[in-house]
Amino acid sequence: MIMFVLREKNLMRPIHLLVMGLLLMLVTDASAGDRLSVYTVNYPLAYFAERIGGDQVEVVFPAPPDVDPAYWVPDQAIITDYQQADLILLNGANYAKWVSKVSLPRSKMIDTSRKFKDRYIYATDVTTHSHGAEGAHAHESLAFTTWLDLSLAKLQAAEVYKAMARKRPVSEMQFKQNFKALAEDLEKIHEGIKAVVANDPDRALLGSHPVYDYLSAGYGMHLKSVHWEPDEAPSFSQMNELKQVLEEHQAAYMLWEEVPIPVSVDQLKAKGVASVTFNPCGNRPENGDFMTVMKKNIDSLKIAYR
Amino acid sequence: MINISNLHFHYPGSEFQLAVPEFSVAAGEKVAVVGPSGSGKTTLLNLLAGILTPRQGQIHVGAVAVSDLGDAGRRDFRISTVGFVFQDFELLDYLSILDNILHPYRITGALKLTGDVRQRAFRLAEQMGISGHLKKTPGELSQGEKQRAAICRALLPNPSLILADEATGNLDPTNKTRILDLLFERVAEHDATLVAVTHDHELLPRFDRVVDFQTFQSGEDS
Amino acid sequence: MIDSLYLAWQYIRFNKFKTIILVASITLIAVLPLSLEILLAESERQLLSRAESTPLLIGTKGSALDLAMNSLYFDDEVPELLTMAAADRVYDTDLALPIPLYVRFQTRGHPIVGTTFDYFDFRKLKIAKGQPLTILGDCVLGAKVASELGLGPSDSLVSSPENLFDLAGVYPLKMQVVGVLEPNHSADDLAVFVDIKTAWVIQGLGHGHEDVTRTRDSTVVLKRSEGNVAANAKLFHYTEITEENLDGFHFHGDTSIYPVTAVIAVPHDEKSGTLLRGRYLESEDAQQIILPAEVIDGLLQNIFRIRNVLDAVIALVGLATVLVILLVFALSLRLRQREIQTIFKLGCRKAMIGRMLLAEILIILLVSGVLCSAVLGVVDVNAEELVRRLFVG
Repeated sequence: MIMFVLREKNLMRPIHLLVMGLLLMLVTDASAGDRLSVYTVNYPLAYFAERIGGDQVEVVFPAPPDVDPAYWVPDQAIITDYQQADLILLNGANYAKWVSKVSLPRSKMIDTSRKFKDRYIYATDVTTHSHGAEGAHAHESLAFTTWLDLSLAKLQAAEVYKAMARKRPVSEMQFKQNFKALAEDLEKIHEGIKAVVANDPDRALLGSHPVYDYLSAGYGMHLKSVHWEPDEAPSFSQMNELKQVLEEHQAAYMLWEEVPIPVSVDQLKAKGVASVTFNPCGNRPENGDFMTVMKKNIDSLKIAYR
Repeated sequence: MINISNLHFHYPGSEFQLAVPEFSVAAGEKVAVVGPSGSGKTTLLNLLAGILTPRQGQIHVGAVAVSDLGDAGRRDFRISTVGFVFQDFELLDYLSILDNILHPYRITGALKLTGDVRQRAFRLAEQMGISGHLKKTPGELSQGEKQRAAICRALLPNPSLILADEATGNLDPTNKTRILDLLFERVAEHDATLVAVTHDHELLPRFDRVVDFQTFQSGEDS
Repeated sequence: MIDSLYLAWQYIRFNKFKTIILVASITLIAVLPLSLEILLAESERQLLSRAESTPLLIGTKGSALDLAMNSLYFDDEVPELLTMAAADRVYDTDLALPIPLYVRFQTRGHPIVGTTFDYFDFRKLKIAKGQPLTILGDCVLGAKVASELGLGPSDSLVSSPENLFDLAGVYPLKMQVVGVLEPNHSADDLAVFVDIKTAWVIQGLGHGHEDVTRTRDSTVVLKRSEGNVAANAKLFHYTEITEENLDGFHFHGDTSIYPVTAVIAVPHDEKSGTLLRGRYLESEDAQQIILPAEVIDGLLQNIFRIRNVLDAVIALVGLATVLVILLVFALSLRLRQREIQTIFKLGCRKAMIGRMLLAEILIILLVSGVLCSAVLGVVDVNAEELVRRLFVG
């Protein structure tokens, strides 16, 4: 009787939609409540976590989009959020110096570069300090953009996968499949960079900032870094430094973290150095994701290795 | 009331000997017993009360042959028949005067402490002039007041025989007379017989009869 | 019987001094062994429960008891130190969660426990006021510490120097109280908790100062060389960590060689625990792994042996006291001979005399019993607190 009335009144379709909507809400609510909360200290790890965790995780990377996460310091409220997370993904290699000054639960912390500590690179052009004649140096000298060597990025992604599987064993198969897909994508980027560099292994390049150590070491590049900011015109001393570097390292291209201002580009052109952008992608890109940024980076390298 | 015949007593291991061939006291009589110290006056009172048992002879108090009773019998006789007044009052320091007066009712099952008994105690105390001291302890009373309390205790169970051993011995002259007067009044009121051991010769004329223990023992009354 | 009790009560009341002494003696002789029993039972419970809740403890080879006492009850005796590498070693096995402890320093008579955030979940410690540890320099107070010192969130606390003339070593650090824990009825109530890195700052292994690589004050620079600036002793080190100077704080050298007093290992499961223990069996291993419950149980066995001696001593003292009490009663009876003769003359039975004396004894025993029960009741109610103050501190 009721069904007859409903049919007659053309109410079946709206009711179907209502029921589906309610069901969807219940399912979503259940999922949202069950998702692992994963906090990261940089965007690459957030990307890996999203790819591997899928709908089983809620990934949070709280650094504002316009800061370098390596130097960002969260406030107390955000530190508390980190403390409450199910997993805290750290880059290691002294990235995110704030981590050594706060209290985080080790049971939730994953040092994703733990397995390749022996391959850490110490930056040579950083001034450290010590105390007294024989004092140990402070840890300012480690390079930390480990993911720019995509073989190391794969190892970091593997640590993310293992951590998630340990935390949620029932979803291990799902995580494994997702990780495999991610690893394949990372491998493609890795091979892509290798292929480009292989064109001219001895090609000299410049880096606008000392952030390309792992890229350079991982792919056998001849890259020297200076200290130029993309949004600042070079100073007299910076130009002098460039001149001295070029005397021994005749680079035709400089890699920039982001698009530099025209003044800088012109100054470099005058010295015979062209500019290309190689975004380390430490923070979330305005458009696209880690993979799209890396693919663009490969395109930039192709230009630099032309 | 009292009849003693051919009484012999001695304490074990002692040379002291008490011998009373004949002694009697009529009911209601007030008899004073005098004699030198150590002659056995207190022993006689103890024998009359059934505290001691004679080696030989008969003691009759009223219809009771005290000398023939066993321990329990003599105790029951003592409770029901005898009121004792001691020279040193023998009040208990830790009890109030009222509790001292009521004491016999608390130490024997034979006497029941009822409301009626308490009323009689209050009356006795009033008669003896110590009703204002009933809540005090003996330490707070004078010698005379203490002896009055002791007399109340002795008289409360309505004994038919009152034995007073130097009842005025520790009192000053004024009190001696007064206490004796009060004792005599109460004895008369209760129709009791009084046998009192005393050294106070001034008081002797007040008694019905005076018995010299020494001559008494030789069979003569004074 | 009522009359006997009445007379006995009047006698007892009148002879207050004697009665009080008798009651006190009997109460004392009953209370002593029973109180000791209650306190020992409570101390056994407290010590064991704390030990049983700590699965494994790693420290430098040496006294297992010192290791357990310092780690579980924050005892003054600091065991031989090991390094943070010991915690990393556990972590790398993937068999257990390591929780390092650095219990060495004090503040206003209370131990400073340097540890990690995991400790609070492990011990199920909850925040009653304020918030948990967040940044370097924060401290969280145990419930008793907060109430004894009258401190709460937003207050500060300065660490104590290790000794009076500690001029070149541990120097006082002003810590910020950010939270107070709920009472836990354990040694945690009496401790001040800091992140282990803060404990290293107290020791001077970490510190904060202006950036010497960029300073304009050349008097603080000892030597400049290729890639390094060595500062001299003139360089001022911050004595307090604030949000403003937090960035200036750092550690020198590899933190894996930094000291800890022990590492609590929380195995993922029983099998992991067994496997982990197996990794420390080598005689050349400089570290030891202990089961705290076993160590404390051994300690308690020794205590029980001493208790037997104490029981024997108390029994002898008790016997002596009973004999003295009997003597007092006997002498009292002699003093009351005259009273007994009087009431006998008044017609009192011997049995009644016996009942009166028995009533006195009963009243004294009853009063002693009530007092004893009251004292034991108070001891029982406060046993937990008393044991903590007397034995745990």
